[in-house]
Amino acid sequence: MSPPIAAAPPKKIIIDTDPGIDDTMAILVALRSPEVEVIGLTTIFGNVYTSLATRNALHLNGTKLRIADFVHGVDGLGNQNFPPPKGKPIPLSAPAFLVQQANLYPRQLTLVALGPLTNIALAIQLDPAFAKNIGQIVVLGGAFSVNGNVNPAAEANIFGDPEAADIVFTSGADLLTVGLNVTHQVMLTAVNPSLMTYTEGVVRVQTSGITRGLTILYNKQKRFGEMTEWSDKPAVKVAVTVDAPTVVRMVMERLMDLDS
Amino acid sequence: MDCNGDGGNGGVPASHAKLEKLIIDTDPGIDDSMAILMAFQTPGSEVLGLTTIFGNVTTKDATRNALLLCEIAGRPDVPVAEGSPEPLKGGEPCVADFIHGSDGLGNIFLTSPKAKKIEKGAAEFLVDKVSEYPGEVSILALGPLTNIALAIKRDSSFAKKLKRLVILGGAFFSLGNVNPAAEANDLDGVYAYCWLVPLSQSCSKTGLVPRCRIYVESPFSRATRPWIYGDPEAADIVFTSGANIDVVGINITTQVQFTDADLLDLRQSNGKHSKILCDMCKFYRDWHVKSDGVYGIFLHDPVSFVLLVRPDLFTFKKGVVRVETQGICIGHTLMDQGLKKWNSSNPWSDYSPVSVAWTVNVDEVISYIKHVLLTP
Repeated sequence: MSPPIAAAPPKKIIIDTDPGIDDTMAILVALRSPEVEVIGLTTIFGNVYTSLATRNALHLNGTKLRIADFVHGVDGLGNQNFPPPKGKPIPLSAPAFLVQQANLYPRQLTLVALGPLTNIALAIQLDPAFAKNIGQIVVLGGAFSVNGNVNPAAEANIFGDPEAADIVFTSGADLLTVGLNVTHQVMLTAVNPSLMTYTEGVVRVQTSGITRGLTILYNKQKRFGEMTEWSDKPAVKVAVTVDAPTVVRMVMERLMDLDS
Repeated sequence: MDCNGDGGNGGVPASHAKLEKLIIDTDPGIDDSMAILMAFQTPGSEVLGLTTIFGNVTTKDATRNALLLCEIAGRPDVPVAEGSPEPLKGGEPCVADFIHGSDGLGNIFLTSPKAKKIEKGAAEFLVDKVSEYPGEVSILALGPLTNIALAIKRDSSFAKKLKRLVILGGAFFSLGNVNPAAEANDLDGVYAYCWLVPLSQSCSKTGLVPRCRIYVESPFSRATRPWIYGDPEAADIVFTSGANIDVVGINITTQVQFTDADLLDLRQSNGKHSKILCDMCKFYRDWHVKSDGVYGIFLHDPVSFVLLVRPDLFTFKKGVVRVETQGICIGHTLMDQGLKKWNSSNPWSDYSPVSVAWTVNVDEVISYIKHVLLTP
């Protein structure tokens, strides 16, 4: 019954995160998944301020992993008031760390983005080759043809930095986005992509007006040469369905194993 | 020819207790023409007048075509009030002559109408009629909503005095609306798009524009039509006006098509206006083939008329609808489905909900339209 464990060497992943309770679960799932090797966390505002995100990420990691700097109770972890973590963030900024690692492992890294896409947009701006060097970016964000969760138009992670999101979605990177229409359990998508089906098309993000943060997918072939804001932009993958029972079971298995 | 056009199952109500007072705000337009002629042929409807707007054609040509349609219907007495030549924000509108022909009626080039437009402008006419019969007048809005917005601005009680406003426009996500088992189709149904298309020559004279208006991409096929973008500011004013609004978007109207067989039925029938409608439809149909690979035509405006007289053939969801007026998604219609209680106020807070058509009984609607159009 257990999902197959890939025979291939574990997939290297970096998690860009704003932990956060559900981010915490995602990170713990990743750390407990033999299919992936978490080589670093980068932190971003979102659920909590960046400094607290860093602190929380250090908690989750023990001291083994590298954390680079850049809401769920005041401490972001359900007000558990953990003592300060022992680990320290590395002296590199998150975007610089992302660029460095993508260069180190060209086309082998999976970057899982659980918060606003600021760090990733900055990495793209820092290094024009970043979008090509990164293996895949898995984004938790967007609301595709459903209402958002901060307002009827926008999902929180995209709303957190719509300009960054538009940069990332149109960067040309191999990108899979998992929106509110599907699930919050994005981590297992990186672990096992076959748990999800997706469509492909160009995604743009509205950055002004009442629908700021709205994600619009255009997944049709373009016709009779019309020029649109979606024309000539690279396609990304947008999750459409998820095998929810299997995902939930895998999350439970991996989280409950923690005590063993 | 598997269809016998006079099936008698059209579901036209046998009798109406009283006449439904109706004003059609329109930019005719081939399928507008069908809707207008249907209204004239529907015993329960009393057409108080037509108001004109740019869209399929310029406002001026819309006025000419509206006058012509009244003559064709044998009702040259019906007042035609000319509307705004441009959207609220100003600027020359572009028209869809590549869809409807340069005359707006499929390049059939009818002679000029004998009747003249009335002196009053559209907004004034709307306000006056609605004030004359408060609570009794319905408006069928088939084009950009500039005239309706101007009427709302002119008379703050206009929205409340309207009986009903049926709007053709927008695209509303309709998750679960289509067969959830058919994944490919489901995808088509799930996503609504806004996008821009190239312009007719007249619009690009500034040389600035590789874009001019947004067409809303049909979820089900690749039909394009310009409603809301024609005047997004006006649309947002109308949707948030508190009027009793039913809106039918392209996600619904594109489910209802006349096939070539249906058009043949129409041509071969003794329908009162079947010949002229078929002549008009040829250009429209050929455009659908060329641009969408659809052998037939979409019935956007006739469907909107059916929604006015037979709302029982649709289901609705209620929610606040707003229209984006800026940025790359200008013209996008976005409905708060009310599934979530928001923690703080947002641009959708505190407005009255409208009814958004969610599903349509396709067979019954087509049957109704055929019944009306094929009636001698």
